[in-house]
Amino acid sequence: MYWFREPVSSNRADVESIGLSDVLKSLGGVGEGMERELLFDSATWLVWSAPLVGVLAAGLSRRRDPVIEDTRILRHDMPARITHWTHGIGTMMLLISGIALGLFFTPTLVGGGEPVWTWMNVHFVFVTMFLFGTFYYGANTLISPKRFGEHLPTKNAVDYTKRHYGLLLGFKKFTFPPEAKYFESEKMAYLMAFASTVLIIITGLLKVAAHAIDMPAWILAVATPVHDISTVAMLAFFVAHVFFAAVIPVSWPVLRSMFSGYVSREYAEKDHAGWIAKIEGRPVTDDAK
Amino acid sequence: MVDNDTKDVVGQGISRRQFMTGVGGAGVGMVLGGLVVKGFILPDEVLAIPASEGYLLVDTKKCSGCTTCMMACSLVHEGRSDYSLSRIQITQNPMGRFPDDIFMAQCRQCPYPPCVEACPTGANHADAENGNVRTVDPAKCIGCERCIQACPYTPSRMQWNAIDKNAQKCDLCANTPYWDEEGGPGGKQACVEMCPMHAITFTTQTPVQSTDGYEVDLRTGTSWELLGLSA
Repeated sequence: MYWFREPVSSNRADVESIGLSDVLKSLGGVGEGMERELLFDSATWLVWSAPLVGVLAAGLSRRRDPVIEDTRILRHDMPARITHWTHGIGTMMLLISGIALGLFFTPTLVGGGEPVWTWMNVHFVFVTMFLFGTFYYGANTLISPKRFGEHLPTKNAVDYTKRHYGLLLGFKKFTFPPEAKYFESEKMAYLMAFASTVLIIITGLLKVAAHAIDMPAWILAVATPVHDISTVAMLAFFVAHVFFAAVIPVSWPVLRSMFSGYVSREYAEKDHAGWIAKIEGRPVTDDAK
Repeated sequence: MVDNDTKDVVGQGISRRQFMTGVGGAGVGMVLGGLVVKGFILPDEVLAIPASEGYLLVDTKKCSGCTTCMMACSLVHEGRSDYSLSRIQITQNPMGRFPDDIFMAQCRQCPYPPCVEACPTGANHADAENGNVRTVDPAKCIGCERCIQACPYTPSRMQWNAIDKNAQKCDLCANTPYWDEEGGPGGKQACVEMCPMHAITFTTQTPVQSTDGYEVDLRTGTSWELLGLSA
């Protein structure tokens, strides 16, 4: 015997897609007689669109390579800054909302019902931002693989990192290494961020797909803990990155460049001698050798 | 403005940048086109959920409020005796008088299950392998508690399992890892088996969809009738 019923808004199979204005409305309070939407359920299309918009934006963007302009150097062109801040703010808010939801399980940080739906909707909004930023970066990297290479550690990774931070900590025996555009320590951290981002996106999209299709339970039984563990790795990277790239004063010139695009030539020659040499087409010289 | 990224070619006459523009544009177009097709061209879907092949019926007038059924339910499903983990709820009003002092709240396995409809991920579903009993797959539960809110009855026949961190509901003992009896609509139910007052029974017939349909007279034809305590 089958029982039939007309579609209702809360049903996953029949839920009607909603627009951006509904998304924004849903984040606010619940109006009289209006049940709050679970955006992962009703606006799933935005999750699929965000990466594609990122790819499209990369195709339409024009990149600028670093260039010396008198006393300043272009370090981050506009696409790089957009990538960084959409990915970064997205990551921060996903960590906050994800941890709030995760600690819903033990101990209770968010109460049941409405608070859970609110945080899930916050998570949704920043999922779209995060996906846009990440795929914007990914597509830009595929267009120009050399940008990916700039982030990968070299054979100097351990030596440079030891000398760089040894000097910062006051060990006089070290000399500052001719770091490239990115410090070797940043490059090693990049690998962890890259791996956790890939895992978070794959498992996250699987979790979102469960809102649209009938996913096998075993896939979600794997995806959920992998998503959680990857989040812990991302949290470790995020905290370290914010500390080393924004909190300590020596990083402030680069932090400013993430808004303006430029660093001073003086700073670059001191902290990124290898990068300057590369831009000028000179061989990299290392005082320690 | 310097742009060195248009040199690489992935195919004849197509740069990487043009390729990405094409992929992104086509993808966005497909998503938006799919929305239009789904929203304006395809008819609304109608949800069809097969009826459960089993239901619990209770006779509150026989219930002594011993809560053995709750302990049994928790024990066979979770391996521990915990009122909070029981899927059948016995509530008592110490100020009330018989027969309004005890209330038995069993899941009705609704023909139109609002809890199943409310679930955004399909975790709450009609289990085709177990007589279409409405049940929760913990691996797919995201903890949104929509099902708990959706249950129209008080107390909600959906519960939040604070130990395993997922919603749960009566599955007619289809999944009882701590009980060596065959459960589900074709087997036994722990609460039915353990109730010392025989105040709970099982039926394969879909009850009339009202409180009277699920709360029945289990006294007539028993010794209760001899004592004049039947309906």
